[in-house]
Amino acid sequence: MAAAPEAQGFADRRRASDHESFLAHKRLRWLKIAAGLNLVAILGYAFAEVEPRPNGGTWYGYILGTIGALLIVWLSLLGVRKRAMTPGRWSLKAWTSAHVYLGLALIVIATLHTGFQLGWNVHTLAYALMMLVIASGVYGVWVYALLPHKLSDNRRELTQAQMVDALAAVDRQLEQAAQPLDRADADRVIAALAQDPFGHGLISRLSGRYRGCRTEAAIAALDAAAGDPALERVATLLGKRLAQLEQIRRHMRLKAMLEVWLYVHVPVTVMLLAALTAHIVSVFYYW
Amino acid sequence: MPFRIRTVDVTATGREIVRERELGQAELTIGRAAENDIHLPDLAVEQRHVRVVPATGGKLRLEALGKLAFTVDARPVEEAAIIDPSEGAELAIGSYRLEFLEEDGAVVIVVRKIAAREGSKVDDLAGFSLAHVLPGNRPVAWIGLLAILLAFLAVPVWSHMTRTRHKPDYDRAGAVLMDASWRTGALSSAHHGLEDNCEACHVQAFVAVRDAVCVACHTDIVEHAARPRQAVARGPLARFEQVQWNVAHAFSKPGPGACTDCHTEHEGSGPMERTRERFCADCHGSLDARLADTALANAGDFGTHHPQFKAALVTGPTLAEVLRVSLDRRPRQWTGLRFPHEMHLSRTNGVAQMARRLGARGGYGDPLECADCHRPTEDGVRFMPVAMEQDCEACHSLVYDRIGTTFRTLRHGNIEQMRADLLALDARAPRVTGRRRPGQYGTLYRADFGGPGTALLSRAMGEKGLCGECHTPAGGRGSLQVQPVPQPMRYFVNGWFDHEDHKQEQCTSCHAADRSDASSDLLLPGVGQCRDCHMGESNRTAEVPSSCAMCHSYHPRNVTVAALPRIARR
Repeated sequence: MAAAPEAQGFADRRRASDHESFLAHKRLRWLKIAAGLNLVAILGYAFAEVEPRPNGGTWYGYILGTIGALLIVWLSLLGVRKRAMTPGRWSLKAWTSAHVYLGLALIVIATLHTGFQLGWNVHTLAYALMMLVIASGVYGVWVYALLPHKLSDNRRELTQAQMVDALAAVDRQLEQAAQPLDRADADRVIAALAQDPFGHGLISRLSGRYRGCRTEAAIAALDAAAGDPALERVATLLGKRLAQLEQIRRHMRLKAMLEVWLYVHVPVTVMLLAALTAHIVSVFYYW
Repeated sequence: MPFRIRTVDVTATGREIVRERELGQAELTIGRAAENDIHLPDLAVEQRHVRVVPATGGKLRLEALGKLAFTVDARPVEEAAIIDPSEGAELAIGSYRLEFLEEDGAVVIVVRKIAAREGSKVDDLAGFSLAHVLPGNRPVAWIGLLAILLAFLAVPVWSHMTRTRHKPDYDRAGAVLMDASWRTGALSSAHHGLEDNCEACHVQAFVAVRDAVCVACHTDIVEHAARPRQAVARGPLARFEQVQWNVAHAFSKPGPGACTDCHTEHEGSGPMERTRERFCADCHGSLDARLADTALANAGDFGTHHPQFKAALVTGPTLAEVLRVSLDRRPRQWTGLRFPHEMHLSRTNGVAQMARRLGARGGYGDPLECADCHRPTEDGVRFMPVAMEQDCEACHSLVYDRIGTTFRTLRHGNIEQMRADLLALDARAPRVTGRRRPGQYGTLYRADFGGPGTALLSRAMGEKGLCGECHTPAGGRGSLQVQPVPQPMRYFVNGWFDHEDHKQEQCTSCHAADRSDASSDLLLPGVGQCRDCHMGESNRTAEVPSSCAMCHSYHPRNVTVAALPRIARR
């Protein structure tokens, strides 16, 4: 394609820009702050005089718990904050950087708050939900760092709409090309065309394995070697269709991997806020 | 390769009209201008838009003639694209779609006009996103939120508020639903029965557990000291402690001095957390600085800051003379007896020999051992008072007469009876010349207290006499009265020592009985000896780090100093 060299040049220009990831924002300012916070928390845990043993019910435990609860509320406000992009000290990038590093710091703060006393109760539920949110967040950061360039490699300058259109174009040709086919083969083509490329579930999308693919089934079933030019043409077009489908599927897989953590991160955050409320209220209710 | 142009028009009624024409040339042009080989009357198409030229291998090259692009199989092309008619391809320009395919060696171009500009609908593109196959975040979040708030907050709160109140009862199950999910940890073994009855202690919402709740069951708990005195002893709080208490009071915590200050619950099953040394040391570490009139010496840590033990001793024959005196002053006690431990524990002297002779039949080991005379109490904590009949008489026999095969024994402690027995013996003849233990004929041992009969009576109180050998005479001449023999069950008024816990030790490793030649010797070990094993709670190298509560009880029960709970339970 003649457009390819220019696209390459564009990509190079893009990489050479002064883009700074939110992870490296202000030379890791929030990483340093979070690490400092954790260090203070650990030293405090080691040296605070608490009776009879460290846990959430000591003065130090209450301090850690208060910090942890405030952090959780603030971290969950990213969902509100991200809807308003502003530059400057409190830019969304700064906020996101702080979100990631303070969220990680919460692992230490909340674990020290528990005093390593866990059980089957609403308190540990809150802790477990929090750890789940953090784990999904870590995954999110990881895939955001790793997958976007794979996504654009796979697109090959096509938009999502163009991928769908390309599939539709092949389908239209298939529709015409399949006219001479007998009933059985025509049914196979109909089945392949009727199958919704987006009709597959989470597992197929994430794994990239589509067992019920009727296009593949049709290719396998058509006897293209028989020398019938119509059949050959349909088989060729089915091959083109499958190639197009595979690009769409790779795209969906990467997209699913990029998106799936949010389906944990966001609702579990809301549940965490509920469990945190129950945790705090119950402690003071049965004071 | 010839081209076959097939134009498909659709009439208003939906009928298709197909026209076909053949073009023999090798290349052709497509555009809006009429001179093009394929003429597409659409303003979105350039006058001369695309040229189709043959490429190698039966393929065709589609070249853009103007600036506007076109799409091949939905892929945008800005300059040129190669297509293979035998595989088929679809060229889209403006509102026209040209399908290239091969039929009978000719390239067929099917030209169709699309009614409206086709494009993928937004709905189609949504399929790329996971939102297409997963339930939305909002409903999941709402359901989770409500389920958690309902199960873990609304239900317990509601059932706590609407419960019928009962007097706290250890055996009654709680009425509050789902509050097990609030439990921060298992209760100690003492309170295990209340595990399912949170509201027994957590009576009022948002009010910390009050002393009244504890005292409702623990009715015999008495104040450690009068409250005002405790407050003085505690003294002004350090600034950080004051801040802590201010915060605690703001959150309705009782104290300082509340039950829950020391007795923290929900720390896990097993025995309750032992109260830390600090709780005592806060006041007692420097008690005299605040309580000038206190009789107690300061104590803050057993290993480094604890006074010498004080023993409560009887110091004279009138038993009222009880003195609490530090062991450092090497006090002597009044026992009313002449009893050298050393002689009895010797491995070589007559006593040892006698024990050997009596041997296993008499329940003795080789020489005498402590346990031959000292029997522990049932709980093992202390020792029973030594009883003459049981613990001494096997050797110190009181047999004074023999009639046939029967031996007559004086009754220890009953003076009048004893006198009568001995007088009766005098009046009778012939006198017994020797006394033996039942079943032991011909042994050497008998009450050879200076001869039979009157001699026995008249010399009874002498140093070698029947009574005087052990007892201190109390009456005048001819009296068999002896001084009382006090045997204190406890020497330490405020601390508790549990012999049961120390039974792995030799008696003599603490009590220097084998070197004591007088009964007035106080054989109690001092604090230094305890420190061989016991040091303060925070001492990590000690064999037994010991907090105050190991020996001392905070709560007096029934006004006297209480036994430690673990001792009281036995």
